[in-house]
Amino acid sequence: MTPKQRIRAAIDHQQPDKLPIDFGSSFITGIHCSVVEQLRDHYKLEKRPVKVCEPYQMLGEVEADLLDAMRLDVQPIFPQRTIFGFPNENWKPWTTPWGQEVLVSEHFKTTEDNKGNTYIYPQGDTSAPASGHMPKTSFFFDTIERIDPDFDEDELDLEDNLEEFGPMSKEEEAYWVEQTALWRGSDRAISVHLNGTGLGDIALVPAPFLTNPKGVRGVSDWYMLSADEPDFLKKLFDRQAEIALQNMAKLHAIAGDLIDVVVVCGTDFGTQNSLFCSVPSMRDIWLPRYKRINDWIHNNTNWRTFKHSCGAVEPLVDTFIDCGFDILNPVQCSADGMDPQGLKDNYGDRITFWGGGVNTQQTLPFGTPEQVRQEVLSRCEVFAPGGGFVFNAIHNVQAQTPIENVIAMIDTVHEFNGDK
Amino acid sequence: MTDSLERLTTAIKTGKRKDAKAATAESLDAGLSPQSVLDALTAGMNDVGKRFKANEIFVPEVLVAARAMQKSMDLLEPILVASGIQPKHTILIGTVEGDLHDIGKNLVMMMLKGANFKVIDLGVNVAAETFSQAITEHKPNIVALSALLTTTMPAMENIVQHLNQSGADIKIMVGGAPITQDFAERIGADGFSPDAASAVELAQQLCA
Repeated sequence: MTPKQRIRAAIDHQQPDKLPIDFGSSFITGIHCSVVEQLRDHYKLEKRPVKVCEPYQMLGEVEADLLDAMRLDVQPIFPQRTIFGFPNENWKPWTTPWGQEVLVSEHFKTTEDNKGNTYIYPQGDTSAPASGHMPKTSFFFDTIERIDPDFDEDELDLEDNLEEFGPMSKEEEAYWVEQTALWRGSDRAISVHLNGTGLGDIALVPAPFLTNPKGVRGVSDWYMLSADEPDFLKKLFDRQAEIALQNMAKLHAIAGDLIDVVVVCGTDFGTQNSLFCSVPSMRDIWLPRYKRINDWIHNNTNWRTFKHSCGAVEPLVDTFIDCGFDILNPVQCSADGMDPQGLKDNYGDRITFWGGGVNTQQTLPFGTPEQVRQEVLSRCEVFAPGGGFVFNAIHNVQAQTPIENVIAMIDTVHEFNGDK
Repeated sequence: MTDSLERLTTAIKTGKRKDAKAATAESLDAGLSPQSVLDALTAGMNDVGKRFKANEIFVPEVLVAARAMQKSMDLLEPILVASGIQPKHTILIGTVEGDLHDIGKNLVMMMLKGANFKVIDLGVNVAAETFSQAITEHKPNIVALSALLTTTMPAMENIVQHLNQSGADIKIMVGGAPITQDFAERIGADGFSPDAASAVELAQQLCA
């Protein structure tokens, strides 16, 4: 099987020849740029600075030579603009606060305060208020909530929270034409992030890509909407879905079935031990809108739909299936109720688990290589039979993860595949 | 309990901020004791905490309840201060150095306020030295530390060690997504709680 066939078989619940592996195909299955550099060293690849493909979580691009070395099955085509609203183009060197030389977009504009904290600007516009902040001792940016001083929670205006949703620009269309030409004929599966289909992804609510966001932009304010303004959310998501459908049609006209997997949604519905809303709320507010998006995809394309949600979401898995999602990520087995065997037994023939391979909160950063190996083998034995599993860690591989543990993880999947 | 106090408790439970404000104003205007108004408010938040812990309600419902509580407190707090009614216990809280995540910390803070703790919020990205200075200034009973990132768990460990070595007469409680009971014990914290409602119970135990 080619990697593309392997991924498609796994998603369609057929036994692939080998367990497929993804690292780096999306912004929730990626690797921190500091770890990418160490992986390149480990595999003795050309010494060159890692490209920061996602500047918010500081994810490093897993380039073709590293995909080959790690024997990975998925090639991403990243969005035309980053979360900070600028295109990744005309790479320039940048020294991170932890002293790593990386490559960033020419529009990656930062300032530093006298305490060594780094600030980044929307669309590379340093005349706008900074929209991201990386503390001196951190390895990631976090969004800065810029609350409109005129915001009134009693006078919500739908248009304020629709500013970033609109028809695909000519510039973006040209980008997709160029990118699809580049990857047509690839034997790897192709994954893309859809734009505007998340319906309330909390990382995007503060709109770190806008210079002057209006409306509900505070994280707590946003979460409160589902409790006391569900009708506002429903109207907002109806409008967002409407726009997304038009843009998906454009993307399909350009890329066609080159694309195998579309990341529809990074919206988290779970915490470590509970949900962010009740099952009835999810079914009332989100399900009909996600279903509309997923139904359009299934009726018009050969794409498979990928849903990310961290946390203890076992009570929602049936709802995700009813929404039309084909794939669930990151399968946080460490969260309450997310027992691997229970997930496989109860849902494994109806949704594909893309993730769940190893705990990135405990085992991978703090365990021994042998503990990593044991956990990875156990997860593969539970999830892999019959397809319905793509190996990935539970969310991105974080900074400060010992490289020997990352290598143990990858080697163990190859061992499981009989390839060691 | 009088009608206006019952309405205050109900308004907190259901997160109706305007009702909470109106019921508070009515209760105070009617000359009810500030302590009785505070008790009604605390009863509402106590119910919210129990239902949150039982997974009957979720983060959004807790947030709207806390917002309603705050609307009530805006009216009540100056009167409590003027009457000399003060919370028995003080807690310093902050997200550890290098970490900017505060949803969990803020939930804990709201629930603690709802249980009538005095809460001093040091914000996010807080260094050990800042905690030490605040301990000297505020003389808290408890210091509560939060971390979301695996990369800031070492900072939490450093802060706990720093505070334990300082000899301050405090208890330390920790929480956050990657934090576990084992980790809390290993770094020398006095307690760990997995959610905001449990944090209140833990704080009450540590102050007993």
